[in-house]
Amino acid sequence: MTESITTQKYKAFSVIRIWTLAANTVTQLLRMRILAFLTVFSLIAIAAGFSFPTMSPEQQLKLLKDVSFGSLQIFSIVIAIAATSILIPKDLEDRTLYTILSKPVPRYEYLIGKLLGVLLLIGGGLLIMDLILSAVIWIKQSLIITGQIAALKQEQSATPENVAAIKMIIGKYGLTWGVHAGVFAVFLKASVIAALSLLISSFASSTLFTIVVAFAFTIIGHGQQLLRDWFLHDTLSSGFGKIISGLVVIICPDLKLFDVVDKVITGEIISAVTLASMGGMATLYIVGYTATAYLFFVDKEL
Amino acid sequence: MKHKLLVFALLIAICLSKLPLENSLTATLRRQKLLDTGLDLSMRESLGQMGFAASLGGLRSLIASISYLQSYTAFENLDWGTVDSLMTLTTRLQPTEPTYWEEASWHMAYNAASNYLNNNELRAAIRNKLFRDHVNRGISILDEGLRYLPDNPRLLMKLGDIYRDRKPDPKLAAEAYLNAYDHGAKSFYERMGAYELVKLNDRTSWEKAYAILKRYYDSGARYASIMRDLPILEAKLEIPVEKRVPVPTKAP
Amino acid sequence: MTPDISPTTAVSVENLTKIFKIGMTKKALVAVRDLSFKVNQGEVYGLIGPNGCGKSTTMKIMLGLVKATQGRTAIFGRNSEEVASRNNVGFLPENPYFYKHLSARETLHFYGKLCNMKGSELHDRAEAMLTLTGLTHAADRRVGGYSKGMLQRIGLAQALINEPRLLILDEPTAGVDPVGSRRIRDLILELKQRGATIVVTSHLLEQIQEVCDHVGIMSNGQMVKEGKLEDLISVGNQTEIILEDASPELLEQIRGLINKNDQQTKLVSLGKPRTTLEKLFLESTTQTGDQEPS
Repeated sequence: MTESITTQKYKAFSVIRIWTLAANTVTQLLRMRILAFLTVFSLIAIAAGFSFPTMSPEQQLKLLKDVSFGSLQIFSIVIAIAATSILIPKDLEDRTLYTILSKPVPRYEYLIGKLLGVLLLIGGGLLIMDLILSAVIWIKQSLIITGQIAALKQEQSATPENVAAIKMIIGKYGLTWGVHAGVFAVFLKASVIAALSLLISSFASSTLFTIVVAFAFTIIGHGQQLLRDWFLHDTLSSGFGKIISGLVVIICPDLKLFDVVDKVITGEIISAVTLASMGGMATLYIVGYTATAYLFFVDKEL
Repeated sequence: MKHKLLVFALLIAICLSKLPLENSLTATLRRQKLLDTGLDLSMRESLGQMGFAASLGGLRSLIASISYLQSYTAFENLDWGTVDSLMTLTTRLQPTEPTYWEEASWHMAYNAASNYLNNNELRAAIRNKLFRDHVNRGISILDEGLRYLPDNPRLLMKLGDIYRDRKPDPKLAAEAYLNAYDHGAKSFYERMGAYELVKLNDRTSWEKAYAILKRYYDSGARYASIMRDLPILEAKLEIPVEKRVPVPTKAP
Repeated sequence: MTPDISPTTAVSVENLTKIFKIGMTKKALVAVRDLSFKVNQGEVYGLIGPNGCGKSTTMKIMLGLVKATQGRTAIFGRNSEEVASRNNVGFLPENPYFYKHLSARETLHFYGKLCNMKGSELHDRAEAMLTLTGLTHAADRRVGGYSKGMLQRIGLAQALINEPRLLILDEPTAGVDPVGSRRIRDLILELKQRGATIVVTSHLLEQIQEVCDHVGIMSNGQMVKEGKLEDLISVGNQTEIILEDASPELLEQIRGLINKNDQQTKLVSLGKPRTTLEKLFLESTTQTGDQEPS
């Protein structure tokens, strides 16, 4: 590019600008010590991994995964809501938004950049936690298998058949590809919630309002499936209740679609196709919420 | 303005496609057994508000683990009523998790039943009744689990164990073991089924048992139980001497 | 782009009205009322007026941060509502804050990238702006620890990062000490030399007077006086002569000339001009304002 800056053509959509905003959002959130949770998570995983040695091996592994996935989900949802709700009001308050939007930056790029930054942060955090969790499961699983084989040897029944059977049973509850698929599903859910929070913060007047409403929608989103079944199949009732439930069904995401963690914990297999359709659904939600957020934000008086 | 119209059009498209897509993905996930149907409404009472919200919020597995842990504490305190109700809660939260059903029935049919049987503070008649009641409770837990997980080998194996050890009924035990083997249990359980069939009094069962054990014998297996039961079956079935297995000279 | 705008017009504001709806009752508040003015390329335009007179709102509308209720503003012929109109604009808001976690250099790189700059072009430009605003020594320090004057200067540097043809400065010297303030005014004059168009607001009228070609005075959302600075403030029928090392004899001769020459001419004052307090301050302080006191 030898063109001088002043004559440079304006681009309506620039990946570089979005990336710049996203990367800045990541560092901004990192400096807020948001990932301190990672340390807490590691401690939880290790504690869950090495307590309760009297329970059956499968239960020990299941408990380890339950507790770890539980904290993983809480981490990702809390960050998705809190981080996203804080970002725009903070920029507005510090007037950094003025300097950013007085550059040739379209408002949708600003929104996309902020959202992408939050998603990158959550994704990175989950990736690290996935590694920690995998390591703990693997160590735990190896210890259990070694212990069981030793017990078999003591009973003089360590036939190759028995050893293989133990490895198979424990393996199903141990480290599988499903664990990573589960973490991916948690990420998808958190991404949808982040986009929803972004939408709320695009018209909300306070951060607290955004956080409360986003949490409410997160809870309703987990029950959307029930409500949808009722809305679509119940033909008897009509009137006000029907209208309200219809509205909720249209607005709310179905967060249950990403709740495959339960099954992953017990070693169920998720196909790549299923994961891809979950990803597609999440993308649809994210695009929808971000587009709506744009409609609110484009007319916002700063 | 052009932008806004475009975004509006996009939103309408998303709203229209949202419900059908959600329905089809839900159906797919349910078909692949990755998603349970909604919680039983009666569950709400046992869970309490927080637990209910959390289990809706994707932490169902965690809540199940917690109630499981609580039942474990009750088990250590020999508080059998609490063990039963907490394990019921656990299995209801995750009915497709076989280990929960298995453990729930084990607590009842083995731990609780034996504990009552050995309780010298109780009168003998009551001890025996409590023993039988808890063994039956263990069986009913497995039956319920098998409704959620039809032909699950783990549950069938456990059912066989109970019918063999706790409420001797060789016919049902054999049925459970062989069923377990047919659905993926190890070959050991086919032999277990055969040993139970030997205890019965009809020719069909003996023939079935003989066919199984002879097959293992022919493929080189010389387990003590095979060597014990094959001659018995040969006698009952009047197998010609030349076709019988050689009797070992000394007991293994 | 639009035919009614001459190629030399940098900013045009036409019949601009802005009404804010406030609170739950949607009470109307007129911030700007039927405002029109033009800024020609290459000139420094000072928009002055009391607080709340609509200066900042006008600037925000020019930058597309706020939408006009009626009328329109355009920058180099492009409607302010188009994002592309901000391609050639640098903006320094009042009391700017930047991301506290970034250093001055990182801040400039951030804003540069938002203007689609990259590579060595961005790097060189950022260094040049750090030098221009005298922040080179503090370039690697977090902006969070900057003094008011330094924030104002990094604000100016980020406004200039994309070499804009139009610079919009909202109260650039507010809250800055005289040395820093002098520096900023010098920068404005230097940029003017280089051909930039500048719109500046201030309520420190003396400072405006020093740098502006054109001045508009706003009150209650309306333009009450507008024109060339010279025309607005020169007293038409007076002339000032300032002499250096003049002997008393020479002064006496001049006095004589005046009396002799014309009946109408009157001597209004003759004496030693006073220095301003600001000049005195600038001469007496050695601290440059670049460093924090150690």
